[in-house]
Amino acid sequence: MAAIEVDQFVPRPAEQVWRALTDPDLLARWLMPNDFKPVVGHLFTFRTEPVPQHGFDGIVHCQVLAMEPPRLLRLGWRGGTLDTTVTWRLVPEGTGTRFLITHDGFDETDPAQQAAMNILGGGWRGDLVGRLLAVLGSGAGLRGTADRDRCRE
Amino acid sequence: MPDIDVFDAIASPVRRAILDLLQDGARPVHDVAASFAMTRPAVSQHLRVLRQAGLVAEERVGRERHYRLDARPLRTVMNWAGHYERFWQHHARLLGELLEEGE
Repeated sequence: MAAIEVDQFVPRPAEQVWRALTDPDLLARWLMPNDFKPVVGHLFTFRTEPVPQHGFDGIVHCQVLAMEPPRLLRLGWRGGTLDTTVTWRLVPEGTGTRFLITHDGFDETDPAQQAAMNILGGGWRGDLVGRLLAVLGSGAGLRGTADRDRCRE
Repeated sequence: MPDIDVFDAIASPVRRAILDLLQDGARPVHDVAASFAMTRPAVSQHLRVLRQAGLVAEERVGRERHYRLDARPLRTVMNWAGHYERFWQHHARLLGELLEEGE
């Protein structure tokens, strides 16, 4: 099963980044309005704009699954057709912190999710995605080979 | 307009394998069948689904029909997959900006 992985370097110490992940007001400023509490088992929601064509009503139902300050926070992440897991990891790097996001647990029985994960996980022989991009003549917003290779099965 | 949803078309591992094979160029149906342990009618059935999804185009070469990959409908799949990645990239950047402001 593949995962979506994103990482971002933040030139601040991990403790400070951790606060932005676990303070509801700060969380709202970079992600979405929420009623998060830093308590394992806590059920809460993020609220955003609905996306009717994806069957998404704008509410992400979450649960705090694991918390290891200041390095790991794992959330259950349900919304629309998704029933997934999001993991945030903080890794000190020099004077700053690397913020690693893993979004996984996509439904292998859902054709859309399965197909997308197949592509992200490099489940196609050769570089079909690269060829696709060449055919389409634009790589805007789509992941390249290097990115795909980072995804794990 | 395609009659079959691209997601359904590529949900089948056999059909994904056929698309992979066609990356190397157009092929006649017996050639595709020879590459898999499958009967020609079974392969034809899969090619029909791929054609209805717009992923494969049929062209006449002499007396034969060749099947050619058309990757364009896969953009829908890429968009789906890219959506969540872009979402997290965007918000991770916002987090960086928020903390750099020195709140």
